[in-house]
Amino acid sequence: MFNFDELTNSVADGQVDKAAELTQKALAAQVPAKEILDKGLLPAMNLVGRDFESGQIFLPELLMAGDAMKASIVLLRPELSSTGAAYAGKYVIGTVEGDLHDIGKNIVIMMLEGNGWEVTDLGRDIPPQRFCEEIEKGSYDILGLSALLTFTMPKMPETINVLKEAGLRNKVKVMVGGVPLNQSFADQIGADAYARDAVEAVIKAKELLNK
Amino acid sequence: MQALTNLERVMKAVHRQEPDMVPTFELDIDERVIEALKPGASYEDFVDYMDLDALCYHELRTDHYEVLDEAKHIVRDQWGAIKQYSGVSRAIPMVLEPALKSKEDLAKYVPPDPDLPSRFKNLEETVKRFKGKRAIISVVRPFATIIGSLREQDELFKDMIRDPEFVEGLNEITDDYYRRYVKNLIDVGADIIVETADWAFTNGPMVAPKHTAKYITPGLKKIVDYCHSRDVPCLKHTDGNIWAIFDLIVETGTDGVHPIDPVAGMDIGEAKEKYGDKVCIMGNVDCGRLLSWGSKEEVREAVKDCIRKAGKGGGYICMSGNSIHGAVNPENYAEMIRAIRDYGKYPLAV
Repeated sequence: MFNFDELTNSVADGQVDKAAELTQKALAAQVPAKEILDKGLLPAMNLVGRDFESGQIFLPELLMAGDAMKASIVLLRPELSSTGAAYAGKYVIGTVEGDLHDIGKNIVIMMLEGNGWEVTDLGRDIPPQRFCEEIEKGSYDILGLSALLTFTMPKMPETINVLKEAGLRNKVKVMVGGVPLNQSFADQIGADAYARDAVEAVIKAKELLNK
Repeated sequence: MQALTNLERVMKAVHRQEPDMVPTFELDIDERVIEALKPGASYEDFVDYMDLDALCYHELRTDHYEVLDEAKHIVRDQWGAIKQYSGVSRAIPMVLEPALKSKEDLAKYVPPDPDLPSRFKNLEETVKRFKGKRAIISVVRPFATIIGSLREQDELFKDMIRDPEFVEGLNEITDDYYRRYVKNLIDVGADIIVETADWAFTNGPMVAPKHTAKYITPGLKKIVDYCHSRDVPCLKHTDGNIWAIFDLIVETGTDGVHPIDPVAGMDIGEAKEKYGDKVCIMGNVDCGRLLSWGSKEEVREAVKDCIRKAGKGGGYICMSGNSIHGAVNPENYAEMIRAIRDYGKYPLAV
């Protein structure tokens, strides 16, 4: 019987080598990758998310846990892909036009992937039209828009308007986040959700999917 | 009270005394706001025109950048980092490649020269024009240099856990540079030093208080101690929610804390009550939604509220909650200054 708690703790504590070693051990013992993800990794990300939200851990600890999670998930990916194990949902994300900052966005991606989401990263400095094209051709559940600079915030309502004009607004939920934003801005521009950090992004994404 | 010079007004507030009126200045004012309010004016002319109490000089304005790709706005900064600016602003560039990629790079790293005379030309000009009249403030940013030039941010954060020696090595580089740089700034004529590296996000400190105390505050304390040995005040700016590290900041001996970030939920009344007897409280007028999209009436109310909560007995400088960035409505900034002058006269009547 594989000890999932040990894997969970190694990921939550940011022990990269140990997380990889335990994952290999589980795979060698014929534990299905999906079970390792569900019983070992997801509880770890929940634990880390809870501690980050309550201020018990900070970004360094979160990032170390993210690295440990990645070290494990990279070993699970071949089996997850070949068996078509279901993802939590499909998420497309990018930093809005005029904004070159992607550190916050990348942390959101790390947390989403760690919680079983399939994430497409469009990158940074993305014009509204480019977001729109991606939504048109893909089948995403959620579009995430990120901004660090106050003066790039207007690109968020602009992107939402471009989606509306293209008749695509109802095809996808829109989440916004970034340092200068808050809930009232998100309400004002007609976004479906605002997340103040990466952990909340995962919670809000799950809520949106269940709506 | 007899009217004070702008310099005297700032110094009284910084020393937690009551001036003739609440002072005001900004760490940064975007050129678009200046152009809208006083077309053709330089930053210095604008400070005179608005009668701001201090001028701020950033290293960035006097640094030498090597342009690598003009069309894509890619430069190499003086520390060796490759950065890209947005096409619409020179604010906060993205680091494409930090100066150091591993601990092995420390041994061969050659830092920039803090004694380079050309760094101080603008300051010398400012001293000639404003010395003794308006407060001349020079900005330094050791932790931001590490996080924004020497090492990739996420890697630095992880180094704090997995490789403390590397972080100490990075701190030694900036400690040495800023010790010499600050000495030069004061020799040339800076009245006040402000350290502006952000240490917090909207939700709280970037790193645990134990890591803040181990890796971040010692650099500020060294600068504060040196400034105080020269009878020069030293202020601290950091965005974000700083409640968890406010004590650590105050323990460095800093004379003032800016900007009591309203977007991060920092309450200026609470800051004044808890720390107003130890540091000058600065800032808190929201430059996110309010100064960008709010009405003039809302701006006046916000200024009045800040002065009412933090102005009593002096020790308060009314400023924005970060800077006057490019999205600020110029008319709202002008209204903010008018309101500070209207409501900020001592004895206060707000």
